[in-house]
Amino acid sequence: MLIELKDVNKTYNNGQPLHVLKGIDLSIDRGEFVSIMGASGSGKSTLLNILGILDNYDTGEYYIDGRLIKGLSERQAADYRNRLIGFIFQSFNLIGFKTAVENVELPLFYQGVGRAKRHQMAMEYLDRLGLAAWAKHYPNEMSGGQKQRVAIARALITQPKIILADEPTGALDSKTSEEVMQLLSQLNREEGVTIIVVTHESGVANCTDKIVHIKDGVIGEIEDNREHRASQFGVNTIMK
Amino acid sequence: MRDIFTEIWESIRRNKMRTCLTGFAVSWGIFMLIVLLGAGNGLMNAFMVGGEDIATNTMQIGGGRTSKPYDGLKEGRRIRLDDRDVELTGGELFSDHVDQVISTVSTSVTVNYGKKHFSGLMEGNFPARQEMEKIEVRYGRFINEKDIRDSRKVVVLSENQVENLLGGGTRDTGARFATLSFGSESGRKTDVASLLGEYVRIGTFSYRVVGITKSDRMSDDNLFFAPYTTVKTIYGKGQEIDDITFTFHGLDSEAENEAFEEQYRAAVNLRHRAAPDDNRAIWIWNRFTQNLQMNKGRNILSTALWIIGLFTLLGGIVGVSNIMLITVKERTHEFGIRKAIGASPWSIMKLILAESVTITAFFGYVGMLLGMIACLVLDKTVGQSTMSVMDEQIAMLVDPGVDLGVALGATVVLIVAGTLAGIFPARRASRVRPIEALRAE
Repeated sequence: MLIELKDVNKTYNNGQPLHVLKGIDLSIDRGEFVSIMGASGSGKSTLLNILGILDNYDTGEYYIDGRLIKGLSERQAADYRNRLIGFIFQSFNLIGFKTAVENVELPLFYQGVGRAKRHQMAMEYLDRLGLAAWAKHYPNEMSGGQKQRVAIARALITQPKIILADEPTGALDSKTSEEVMQLLSQLNREEGVTIIVVTHESGVANCTDKIVHIKDGVIGEIEDNREHRASQFGVNTIMK
Repeated sequence: MRDIFTEIWESIRRNKMRTCLTGFAVSWGIFMLIVLLGAGNGLMNAFMVGGEDIATNTMQIGGGRTSKPYDGLKEGRRIRLDDRDVELTGGELFSDHVDQVISTVSTSVTVNYGKKHFSGLMEGNFPARQEMEKIEVRYGRFINEKDIRDSRKVVVLSENQVENLLGGGTRDTGARFATLSFGSESGRKTDVASLLGEYVRIGTFSYRVVGITKSDRMSDDNLFFAPYTTVKTIYGKGQEIDDITFTFHGLDSEAENEAFEEQYRAAVNLRHRAAPDDNRAIWIWNRFTQNLQMNKGRNILSTALWIIGLFTLLGGIVGVSNIMLITVKERTHEFGIRKAIGASPWSIMKLILAESVTITAFFGYVGMLLGMIACLVLDKTVGQSTMSVMDEQIAMLVDPGVDLGVALGATVVLIVAGTLAGIFPARRASRVRPIEALRAE
């Protein structure tokens, strides 16, 4: 198993203790395309933060590829995030004063890769996502879809074990959303990238092969969706 | 390294105005520091001129007035030094410390050359005087042994005096030039050296001019030199002399000097039937202790100037720190992104610290450069002017400016200051939590 969560609990102590995750058990294998679905307040964001090593959990165990992720120093957590995980965010989170190619290069910079090498690699990834011509453009000169593709290139460039996508279509129109989801599933199918999508949209979830429903901090149904029939709005559409 | 500077440049470029305004405060601080230290140095140099020209291990003794009754004599009695004081000084009693003793006699005279004249003080002196007072002879020579032995009628005048005699008009050297005179001393109109070998008339005798000394702003323009024996013979005052100067050795601390002075004073005072502890009966100018005190004063002044300068700089540092805090606040989201994709806290901290040090150092150097230019300007203007204080020409500033040591010191100060200014904002930046920063949008 690539990802294993065993009885993970998380409580926020902001005045009144809030038990957000109540014993999460979850296993995700290499090459899976999974969505985590839940309404707001269900704990899915917290789960995503823990999966992404952006947040700590209180009890339980979390393994990535057999490595226990617990009580890490900030420096080590940063290093794991850099090497193991690629992030795709709802609001793209590109750095505004850096060009597309510079944004894509950034994770490699933190790995200590040399200038020329990382530039060349970044150009390669941008090319693969059809953005080579936009390499020298700044994020505010690009459309939402283009920005998200730059973000995907940035997530892929370190060849991470997991891609974590947090509402990747949340800021996109339905056509672009569809393109982005197709891109993700293509990456999953053709390159075997493990992708976890967190969403509250059933249409988005329907694009994935497995849907994990989370509600009130516990995992409910785990739906096998290889047929992509989960959406009540029909196959291959993302209803906004 | 290049990457980090690219990042800094990007950050600064986005906030040019803000960075420049902040940088100005730093520039101003360093500018003030350099100008203060430079002017302070100039001031100290002005005090030291003359001082540095004189061998520091000399004491000069002159007669005064008694301030207390002693041995049945009333106070207020005038004490005149004489030949026996010279013998006493050079004698057995002080032979442990005293090396060479010379005495002078002087008299007010009028020096005539053709139709020109000036009045001054003719000081009968010994050849050794030149070494003791570091008198610089520009043309010809100083008084020599033969002059003394034969009581020759020769004089050593100063450049200004010669200029007077040659054509500067009849000028009483007692009346000074304008209060402030700009311009350097090198621009003499007359050929001063031409008077060498000529005869001037003093009283009823003719004296040959054998030497011409350098006149600087600090020297007493009234004074010129003749052989001791000549002056003593012609204007004979019996055994009386004007002052005694001697060199000494083996007195290395202020305490040792004081002890020696006390002993010496007692011996001379008793010869003149004055109270041994009466410190007005004779005057002692000890160049060594004067020098020590001067150095002490110099250190105090420069410490004070450093403190003032550093406090001025502090304002600039607080400004940088403040602006860095704002920068960090504005960039919180960006730092969140960086951390999410793998930036370590230290790499973020480094970014802010480097930016802070860069801003401080760059604007600091601008300030330093301007400060040094200001020192040069000071040197060219105020530094060339003199002030007339109690009939003495006093240069206000001599060679204002700072040396390499101060520049290096200021560089260290700047880097430390930049780090200090950055450290608080940098820590804040490094503690940005990615989840919160990313949610903040």
